Amino acid sequence: MPDTPFFLQLSRRRFLQGAAAAGSLGAASALGLRTAFAQEPEKPAEIIVRAWGGSWVEALKAGVSDPFTKATGIAVRHDLTEDNEIQPKVWAAVAQKRVPPIHVNWDTTTNATKSALRGVTEDLSDLPNLAHVTDLAKPVGLDGYPIVDTYGYVYVLAYRPEAFPDGPPTSWKAMLDPKFKGRIALYNDGIGFHFPAQVAGGGKLEDIPANMQPAWDFIAKVKEQEPLLGEDPDFTTWFQNGEIDLACTISTNAREAKKNGIDVAWVVPEEGAKFDTDGLWIPKGLPENELYWAKKYIDMAIGKESQQVWLDGLGLPGVVPGLTPPADLVGDPSYPTKPEDFEHLIRISSKIQVENEADWFGKFKAIMQG
Amino acid sequence: MREARAKRLVIGALVALSLLILSAPTLVVLGASFTAGNIIAFPPDGLSLKWYEKVAGASDLRQAFWRSLQVALICTIVAVPVGTLAGLALAKHRVRFSNALQVYLLLPFTIPLIGSGIGLMLLFGEAGVLGSLWPVGLAACVINLPFMIWAVTASAGALDPDLELAAASCGAPPLQTFLLVTVPAVAPGIITGSLLMFILALNEFLVSLLLVDARTVTLPVQIYNSIRSIITPDLAAISVVFIACAALAILALDRLVGLDIFLKSK
Amino acid sequence: MPLRPSRSAYPLSWRVLDALEAGARGVWPARFARGVPWLMLAPAILLVGLLAVSLFEIADASLRTLDTATFLPSEEHTLANYARAFSEPVVLAVGLRSLGGALLVTLATLILAFPYAYAMVRTPSAAWRKTLLIALFLPFFIGQVVRAYGWLILLGNQGLANEILGLAGLGPYRLLFNYWAVLFGLVQYMLPFAVLMLAPALSAIPEEVEAAAGSLGANWGRTLLHVVFPMAKPGFVGAGLVVLTLTLTDFAIPAILGGGGQDFIANAIYDQFFRTSDQGMGATLTVLLVLVGSTLVGLVFALFGAGTLSLRGRGP
Repeated sequence: MPDTPFFLQLSRRRFLQGAAAAGSLGAASALGLRTAFAQEPEKPAEIIVRAWGGSWVEALKAGVSDPFTKATGIAVRHDLTEDNEIQPKVWAAVAQKRVPPIHVNWDTTTNATKSALRGVTEDLSDLPNLAHVTDLAKPVGLDGYPIVDTYGYVYVLAYRPEAFPDGPPTSWKAMLDPKFKGRIALYNDGIGFHFPAQVAGGGKLEDIPANMQPAWDFIAKVKEQEPLLGEDPDFTTWFQNGEIDLACTISTNAREAKKNGIDVAWVVPEEGAKFDTDGLWIPKGLPENELYWAKKYIDMAIGKESQQVWLDGLGLPGVVPGLTPPADLVGDPSYPTKPEDFEHLIRISSKIQVENEADWFGKFKAIMQG
Repeated sequence: MREARAKRLVIGALVALSLLILSAPTLVVLGASFTAGNIIAFPPDGLSLKWYEKVAGASDLRQAFWRSLQVALICTIVAVPVGTLAGLALAKHRVRFSNALQVYLLLPFTIPLIGSGIGLMLLFGEAGVLGSLWPVGLAACVINLPFMIWAVTASAGALDPDLELAAASCGAPPLQTFLLVTVPAVAPGIITGSLLMFILALNEFLVSLLLVDARTVTLPVQIYNSIRSIITPDLAAISVVFIACAALAILALDRLVGLDIFLKSK
Repeated sequence: MPLRPSRSAYPLSWRVLDALEAGARGVWPARFARGVPWLMLAPAILLVGLLAVSLFEIADASLRTLDTATFLPSEEHTLANYARAFSEPVVLAVGLRSLGGALLVTLATLILAFPYAYAMVRTPSAAWRKTLLIALFLPFFIGQVVRAYGWLILLGNQGLANEILGLAGLGPYRLLFNYWAVLFGLVQYMLPFAVLMLAPALSAIPEEVEAAAGSLGANWGRTLLHVVFPMAKPGFVGAGLVVLTLTLTDFAIPAILGGGGQDFIANAIYDQFFRTSDQGMGATLTVLLVLVGSTLVGLVFALFGAGTLSLRGRGP
């Protein structure tokens, strides 16, 4: 047993072969799925979809899961394990050739890309609704559709208006103001902050990842301000308890806090803000019929009706043209719809992100924990 | 006389401090569960039972609680014989390599839970047993086993070797001596240990997180997962229900055997 | 008439015991008596063996580096992860923080646990004893994470503690998100464990022994130092080891009360396993932590004698 390599069952060669095979089969299987719709495979009693809890899962349930159950009669069970924490479970299941613990993973595109590179994702190129989506749905730098991106989001600069009597902050440099010492917050791994920090530190986005010294210099300055580091719920708690005045966080969290009666607003500062996507994917190793219905689920999720309801709940821009933004987000910089809205948003390919993320993270930690 | 008072004052002050530290978060959670608002706050933002209603209506929570009870039961059933035997062996006999053995038996505490969780997930996955509850109970047993062993060893202090000798010299065969003399003598340790094992298994989340799936999720894992997105007062309400169950259990135990059994052998 | 023992003279339970006895003799004859302790230890050794085997897998993983082009571990073995762990100052900083924290928490917990256990064992009032016991057990039931959030609410900038300080014209102070907040949270978490480990050791010391020392003219401090502490040594060692090892490997409290800037080594391990997906590096840190923890445990046993946790009077 000990000589079974840990997490290592699939060699790189086998992965490459698999990927090539998937690519060449792409065209044929699109046809395959369509014929398969005519004679539907056996329905499982339920499928399991990993989701984030709270308002996230509520939105998914209203927009996708409930309509799916209504249309197919298949119940949807939500697994609320964090995306980070389900990853080793899925990877181990695929490596050990077990049936994975979930049917569909709702994941950040970065995390999902790691799984795609590792070869644990099913190809989704044959989903009929992919014919109607925008470019945002296609993962950048990967072959085919190991993931289908379902919406975008922005790491905004959220702030407590009370702390800014002279108007909202315009630059990430507001974090360096001595009066906010100990009152700013970033994500634990600095996610969402590296790229604007590169700009704020006087560097260029084109230098990512080759030269990110400006970002590290800026983050070192922020460290002097003794920032709090946390996860989504921490931000809400901190804003609510008056612990922080400024945070780099996903707009959805800020909006959620606002809905709960906490006085929070947000901006996209002049240096720009990181734009990224989340997506859905299916782990390898499911029985044939369950794979079919899991695909149907994702196909539904990128249908216009589902997108409208689901993303109204999240307050995020989807991947289908012609969605109506929620009333409170019309014209909001965190809800980009037109090309010019994207000008202020920073987008770096998932591939560069996953290849360098561990280093960036290590560097960020070294600065913060030092 | 003055010294006796000084002694009581010092002890009293330190105990009061401990009591405050131990109870404060429990009281906060208790209070926060009755809030009428949408976020955990203390003092609560108006009074209502709406979060209890929400918890009572959630069948998934009830099922998760039921599964946690099973996990705790499995853990305790395995831990009691294993830990009692090992504890007595360590207490009564001089074992060779006992230093190395102690270090080995403390592995459950020296391996960080995340490491244990990942390791057991691979092991159980390889064996193809993930998806049932017993591996979760077994895991909870392994990672807390030193508590059971030590509870027994510690209470073996009250075990009088002469008593066993007396039993033996009266002609009692070894197994009878063991079951009728030795085990009852360490009963307080066994009870403390098994209660601790039960409670810890009931609350285990970090290792279980890696061993359960959506169909076998236990209550602490469910709570942990919910907390990761937003902290709503229903979590406080669940905790209070948990505390109430615990209080009832402790009360029942007191009625049945008397709480003094934790501290004194008969 | 054959001699038949009457039912009442030889009850069923005896017969069951006799059968068991015979069975035991058959399986384990008396001449194996020297092996009895090992037989009794065998189930525990096997059970912990599950972790030992996983540790081998983790050790194997620690010898493989992550390839970020495929997110697979390397096929060949290398010490690169260890080299990285030793060359990165942040690993050392976090490691020392955990170690120092574990030692401080152990000391503080024992200082608080002793009077608590002592009062619980010695109080003549049954009601008071029960209160102390219940206060000990209840916090277990709200779990580590919810408990830590309780502290966030109490000790926050606008929390109850600061409001009380405010009445006295002080503050508000930032009580949370620093090293001391983490240590405080850990002490609170560990206190019940320590008391439960200490209490049996204290209750085994007859009250008369203390009284005797007092009547011989020793003041209370001296009685403690020369009578109670030495007699309760196994309890202290046991409690100390529990607190030390569990603190050293704790994850939730530094994560929540430290505000992200006070990571312990288990948080670094979490990050490697779950955030950067670098199983090899996470495994490396795990192996190093187990080595440090086990060395500490071995050291304590070496200092305080083998079988400290077993019985007095049975020593060499």
